[in-house]
Amino acid sequence: MVAAAEAVAVADDRTGIVFGSEAEYGVGIGWRPEIAGFVAELPGLRFAEVVAESVHAHGDLPGGLEELMARGVTVIPHGVRLSLGGAEPVPAERVEHFAAVADRLGAPLVSEHIAFVRAGGIEAGHLLPLPRTREAVAAVTANVRRVQASLSVPIALEPIAALFDWPDDELTEAQFITEILDRTGALLLLDVANVYANARNRGTDPEDLLGRLPLDRVAYTHVAGGAEHQGLYHDTHTDAVPQPVLDLVASLCARHRPPALMLERDGDYPPAADLRTELDAIAKASGYPPVT
Amino acid sequence: MNDTWGIPGPTFLIYYIAAMVLVAMLAYFHRKTLFRGIRFARVDHLGPQQLAYLNGGDKLAVYSAMGGLRAAGAIGTGPGRTLVQTGPLPSGVTPLDSAIYNAAARGLRAREVFTDQAVVSAVEQLRDHLEASGVAISAAKLREARAWALAGVALVLVGVARIIDGTANDKPVGFLIPLVFFAVILTIALYTRRRWATDAARRHMRGLRDQNRHLSPSQSPSYATYGATGAAMGVALWGSSSLYTMDPAFAAEAEVQRIAATGGATGSVGGGGGSDGGSGSSCSSSSSCGGGGGCGGGGGCGG
Repeated sequence: MVAAAEAVAVADDRTGIVFGSEAEYGVGIGWRPEIAGFVAELPGLRFAEVVAESVHAHGDLPGGLEELMARGVTVIPHGVRLSLGGAEPVPAERVEHFAAVADRLGAPLVSEHIAFVRAGGIEAGHLLPLPRTREAVAAVTANVRRVQASLSVPIALEPIAALFDWPDDELTEAQFITEILDRTGALLLLDVANVYANARNRGTDPEDLLGRLPLDRVAYTHVAGGAEHQGLYHDTHTDAVPQPVLDLVASLCARHRPPALMLERDGDYPPAADLRTELDAIAKASGYPPVT
Repeated sequence: MNDTWGIPGPTFLIYYIAAMVLVAMLAYFHRKTLFRGIRFARVDHLGPQQLAYLNGGDKLAVYSAMGGLRAAGAIGTGPGRTLVQTGPLPSGVTPLDSAIYNAAARGLRAREVFTDQAVVSAVEQLRDHLEASGVAISAAKLREARAWALAGVALVLVGVARIIDGTANDKPVGFLIPLVFFAVILTIALYTRRRWATDAARRHMRGLRDQNRHLSPSQSPSYATYGATGAAMGVALWGSSSLYTMDPAFAAEAEVQRIAATGGATGSVGGGGGSDGGSGSSCSSSSSCGGGGGCGGGGGCGG
């Protein structure tokens, strides 16, 4: 009877039960040092995400994060530099740091991207898309398993926005993602803005992709802004969340509401009132209570 | 047997060191008393410009107001490093805000703002209020503290006279010269070390800085998000370098000087004592000279 909820969460992380049992975290926000003071003042906030590489595994936490955690806000480390899609094994020291940060934050799960950021020792400085081939599935699966071996909590994988497709794709996006999730038992970090961006740039229907993804395995959801530039929609994270993305959030929640959704803003931060409006819009679209 | 002034060198050195230590200590304790402030005076109800004054004086108060006005889109820079109005004056501004905003309408050069009559009187008004509420050190008290520099000058004069007479008397003065040098440093420190916040205010300031850590330039805060008050507060608590983080072009055009926010920033016990203690310790390092027992053995090294 003791800690039954935890036991469920740990017992089977393949079922999509995350964040500890059926806990719903509602609307959160990506914690960034630039807006730490804003995040600290959100009264209803229950979860936030922090870039894992910005946290010292053993030193002081970034200013303000400690206070947030003391308030009971769950903080999820979000890796951006592991390069899970790389052909070479994930560097051991990066995995070690990632796992140590998860422990340090007492996070119920961690997340990373299905992408590569370096190849042959050269850093791209960007998240690059993988060709959707069986070979790539095998490479990602091997790397995710390496990371999982060091982690004591589940990992959620985030497909990225891509401005182009590789010519040798063998699988559809849904097949590619589902295959990786099935093989690794990982959870899905769904970025609604990515879904929108990819569909729009490929001229496909974002609803169609939503219908093919295993939505019961979504651990949480990113909602970000973007902008159109020369006919292509760029998932910038530095612009306001456009209405079609909010509509897609509503549609996703109508199908299967994720336990948590968060505003992901990475720069060109607007006035506090605008950020609050965006958080409220996500709350409204998802039906979760506002956190502002 | 003809000691300079009838005092043997080593004896003079000991007296000289003792006099320096005494001056440093008396000045320190006098400052403690002068700068104590009203014990229960609070700073958490103060506005950014008032906090800026406590942390860096007139200039930082003006920079804090400029930061707020800039973040609100009310002022910018024009040709020739002048200030210009770029938008309406926000509501709920202070007299200092209005004075700077009006100066911008007249196209004053940014650095002339500090001597603008309306700005000067707005700062005076702000200062008077802070002095009355026991958080700012009055000019009179600061003058009193600075008077100790006279004792320093006396030490330097005596030392220099001894060096001159000792040299004329064919006595070595090698140990006295660095000591006089220390006396000069002590004197400069006693004269130039100035501050605005009382010890009581400084203690509270530390807490305030902790609460507003998100505005520290090290976080590269988004002033667009924190708004005009956040920008003004950033300058007040973390110094005018915040303006360079916020709007580098504006800060450079306006020739903003980098003024550190000092009040309580050091976290040293007893705030201002840190400065006096600093020069005092340079004094006590001279005890290595006294400790150089070779001094006495060397025979008349003190002139």
